[in-house]
Amino acid sequence: MIFNYIGNYSTIISLFLSLAIFLRSFLKLKNFDQLIKIDLKKLIFFQFFFIFVSFISLLILFLNSEFGNITVYNNSHTTKPLFYKVSGLWGNHEGSLLLWLLILTLTNFLYFSLSLSRTTKERLFTVIFQQIIIFGFIVFLIFTSNPFNEIFPIPKEGLGLNPILQDPILAIHPPILYLGYVSTSIIFSSSLSSLILGNVNSDWASHIKNWILCSWIFLTGGILLGSIWAYYELGWGGFWFWDPVENISLMPWISLTALLHCILVLEKRSSLASWSIILCISTFTLSVCGTFLVRSGILNSVHTFANDPERGLYILFFLFFIIFLSLVIYFFYEEKLSISNKSFGLITKESHILINNWFLMYFLSVILIGTIYPIFLEVISNQRISVGPPFFNKLIIPFLIPFLIFMSLGPNLGWIKSKKIEKKLTLIVFFIVNLFLSFFILKSIGDVKLFTLLLLTANLYLFFITIKDFLKKGYKNYSQIISHFGFSLLILSIILNAIFSKEIIANLKVGEELGFENNKITFQRIETSTGPNFEKIVGVFIIHDQKGESNKFMPEIRIYNKPEVITSEAFIKTSIFKDRFLVINPIKDKTYFNVRYQEKPLMIWIWISTLLIMLGGCIKFLKNEK
Amino acid sequence: MKKLSIFLMLIICLNNTYSFAVDKPTELENKIFKNLRCLICQGQSVYDSQSDFAESMKIVVRKNLKSGMSEKDIYQFMRNNYGEWVLYDPEINKGTYLLWGLPFLFFLIGGAIILRKLGVLKR
Repeated sequence: MIFNYIGNYSTIISLFLSLAIFLRSFLKLKNFDQLIKIDLKKLIFFQFFFIFVSFISLLILFLNSEFGNITVYNNSHTTKPLFYKVSGLWGNHEGSLLLWLLILTLTNFLYFSLSLSRTTKERLFTVIFQQIIIFGFIVFLIFTSNPFNEIFPIPKEGLGLNPILQDPILAIHPPILYLGYVSTSIIFSSSLSSLILGNVNSDWASHIKNWILCSWIFLTGGILLGSIWAYYELGWGGFWFWDPVENISLMPWISLTALLHCILVLEKRSSLASWSIILCISTFTLSVCGTFLVRSGILNSVHTFANDPERGLYILFFLFFIIFLSLVIYFFYEEKLSISNKSFGLITKESHILINNWFLMYFLSVILIGTIYPIFLEVISNQRISVGPPFFNKLIIPFLIPFLIFMSLGPNLGWIKSKKIEKKLTLIVFFIVNLFLSFFILKSIGDVKLFTLLLLTANLYLFFITIKDFLKKGYKNYSQIISHFGFSLLILSIILNAIFSKEIIANLKVGEELGFENNKITFQRIETSTGPNFEKIVGVFIIHDQKGESNKFMPEIRIYNKPEVITSEAFIKTSIFKDRFLVINPIKDKTYFNVRYQEKPLMIWIWISTLLIMLGGCIKFLKNEK
Repeated sequence: MKKLSIFLMLIICLNNTYSFAVDKPTELENKIFKNLRCLICQGQSVYDSQSDFAESMKIVVRKNLKSGMSEKDIYQFMRNNYGEWVLYDPEINKGTYLLWGLPFLFFLIGGAIILRKLGVLKR
């Protein structure tokens, strides 16, 4: 139980350290250095250290299954495997908030240690803004969601972790995603500080670019992991559901992607300064906004695991404070921004980056409005509506066509002024070739729709242009080419996946067969066995395909003991061309099972292409470091 | 005897084909299922869900389609029974003008700003 106290007091100490750091930085800014002679770096380190201690204490409580702690009691169980005892720590609201704080203080420390090239003033202002955020979150942790609350009398057994969270990928999904979310706070603080000091220039841009890249890579990775998890665990065979919580993670990502491009213009052309600042602010605000929407429980989603109006209210208040603060600072210091009134040439790289930002902002607005509009409508007129995949598909997909075309043309243009468009004719001929190619692809399926045709053409255009650039001699921007290629591969896989997916759903009992496009699915038998904290029923299926090969599929139904929940574990056979996906669900009449068999082409390429997008970011990050 | 065995075989085959026959949903049915929210699940469509509610919704949709209702009629029918909440694709009406319109408005405003920056629209 001692760790309960250690953890509790450590968070309180770091709350006070937060005040101390704030005061120390403030005095140093005002040149009252001689008043206190404590090293700021040490203070910042100790703040991180005490949060770390508190994190470790909670970890030990989880590992020892000490149910006197209410968080452990609610989310753990003695029979749970060790790995999930650890991940149980952040599989709940209180623990995940502590993880959030751990990463927040860590990035704060890293920023302070790594930003030596920047002026002292800029670093101090950044630290001050960081402390406001850290202070806000520690107060939130201590007063509304303290992970170290006790329960008495001490229960003998815990309630267990939600079984769908007991999964290796979902165990590492929150830390990765949080690394992305939280490092946007540095971007936010640094942008405000350089706004105050009036040094939003290309020098600052190349400094902050590394932080942007870093959080962009982690955010992409976190979203990817979540998507993979949803694919095999939720058992519907989809990978993106336009679920509110997914949307919320996508919004900061889009804003960050826009920033990633826009910051290049600031770096190379010293232009778009105010727009960059707005994007820095909006990215972080969207991250906090996400936390608010998820934690308050006002969203109806599969992911909402904690909801409490008090918490929602606090975060809402905090969110308004941050927005208000940044707006005030923005309008006070706006004149310090060097605003160039020079207009961009039409056929330049910067104009295409602007167009990229324009489309990204449109996508962002669609997702933002689609996610929060139903909430407002319900409050105002008591009318409940659902905004689901059809809405997003209708508004986003058509705009992808011009987006992809600009994306293919932009990177090959020069800054400031391009020497005409070289080989204008080649580009047009190339486009027409792609048009024919997509026509024949669609024709071979026998389903030529103008809209799909254009989308496929635009995408193949990007696909081949990036390949051409990759093979070209001379200077190459590998990171850009790889990321853009990854994006075109992603869209291509998604299109082909949507067109070629096949599925069959039927209720079968043991011994029955099911025919499906020259395949024969035989339900051979069921086996039962016991896992560490669940019983499982394994359905053994044999699928004969047209080539005469037969494969064994063994989807599972798991019955977890604590809490008692039934989950379906899909059985997936992955190959480079397609995934074969079989999932069974129990139905009331126990002799029958609901069997869903899907063939999903190019599934693995959706994951690989996202990895390529990330790889591009990593290359850029490593190149910049030198 | 031979005739009898053929007859028996035929019956067995027929029986087998019966077990083969699964009422595979048509494309239209799937489209409708994907657009209906399963009201007892957390953010799942009827298509994705295997709950009793979703299964009975599927039966209702099939029955209505057979009785000659169009896709739109079915949405209307579902809305009358369960409210607008049940449809994932919100219809354009007084409550949703802004939902459908705002993104386009943003797009146009953004476009105007960019055209000015590019020097196409002179002040």
